[in-house]
Amino acid sequence: MLTSLYVEGTSFLHRMSVRAKLAGLMIIGLALFLVANPVALGFALLVTATLYLRLGLGVGEAFRRLRPVLITIAFFGLVNVVVLSPHEALTSTLRLLAILFLAASVTATTTIADFIDTITALLVPLERLGLMKAADGGLAFGLVLRFVPDIALRYAVLKEAHAARGLTLKPQTILGPLIISTLKEADSIAEAIDARGIRGQ
Amino acid sequence: MHIIFDKAELRFGERVALHPLSLQLSEPRIGVIGLNGSGKTSFARLVNGLVKPTSGRVTLDGMDTVADAKAVLAATGFIFQNPANQIILPLIRDDIAMGPKARGLKGKALDEAVEAVMDRFAIAELAERRPHELSGGQLQLAALAAVVVTEPKLILFDEPTNQLDLKNRALVRRAIDGLEQQAIVISHDLDLVSGFGRVLVFHEGRLAFDGDGAEAIARYRETAAC
Repeated sequence: MLTSLYVEGTSFLHRMSVRAKLAGLMIIGLALFLVANPVALGFALLVTATLYLRLGLGVGEAFRRLRPVLITIAFFGLVNVVVLSPHEALTSTLRLLAILFLAASVTATTTIADFIDTITALLVPLERLGLMKAADGGLAFGLVLRFVPDIALRYAVLKEAHAARGLTLKPQTILGPLIISTLKEADSIAEAIDARGIRGQ
Repeated sequence: MHIIFDKAELRFGERVALHPLSLQLSEPRIGVIGLNGSGKTSFARLVNGLVKPTSGRVTLDGMDTVADAKAVLAATGFIFQNPANQIILPLIRDDIAMGPKARGLKGKALDEAVEAVMDRFAIAELAERRPHELSGGQLQLAALAAVVVTEPKLILFDEPTNQLDLKNRALVRRAIDGLEQQAIVISHDLDLVSGFGRVLVFHEGRLAFDGDGAEAIARYRETAAC
């Protein structure tokens, strides 16, 4: 079942060009690494989280789609408290969260087709240097975005299948089927791309 | 297109998917029937070069599916058994635009080509929809539109009415009937291919019968009953 991370809307971010959004994400992301003040980083987090939550996703869905990354950031935050210092753990966690919400906002306001077009255009100089085919690079990037919700959906289906059979969800019983079904779909998509003559024109 | 199988064989290790096959096809509608695992899909994938023959060769209007793989893929379209697997982008309009865009079409010409093909298959209202919101028949039409927009000369259908209800089967059948392109249709839906001028029956990786629709279906029923 093919879904998308894109959320329809007419917000400022929806109307902004993809290039501007990607440039903004890169500049703000880099700038946040120069800031070490927890108050400033907390403010940045507040702004980006507000931006993300105002895209029309709904709070539940907004956090559901980021849950795996939020868990990962929380895990590294706890590790940093032990191996670094509470101050460094706090600043790095706030910084990552702020970047996460900003990146999620860009993803939610840009269609995969627009991403592919923009990345393809940005890769044209590399194609001129003979390093790669720009269209293939753009397509690869788009496919990564396409597979994110698919994998989440497959996980949900496997979770339901476990529940229906009264089985406890364990990494060893879910990872194998998840990887196999994802690879199988990747094969089907690759075949479709070849059959439709989309790659390497 | 004039399709020639010249002793084309397909093996996966020790397993023979299709025994050496020699035949020529040029009819506008060609049906392919047979039991599961009889070699139908292997046959179709050899036609458009999705798989390469282990031995022998397949040519389309003189183009070899191995040596001229890109040209063969450009001249053919393939509708997969599960059309959802061939819809790559989440919005139907974007997905239909992918093929012509990859062939260099852009701007107004691209928009017009996409609009025209959606109008042709009466799916204009599906333009902004996502695949999981469509019925099986609508998915097939969207997949077909994405193929037809690239103007192939030959379209291969791998069980296009599989898992469809009667209404959607009729929808897909009408769409296939209305195509100007040559079509090779693999199907378990015998009604779909019964009117075709040429129907191939595969059995255990071999061509068991080659004739008109009525005769082929009768032979297939005999084979299936054994």
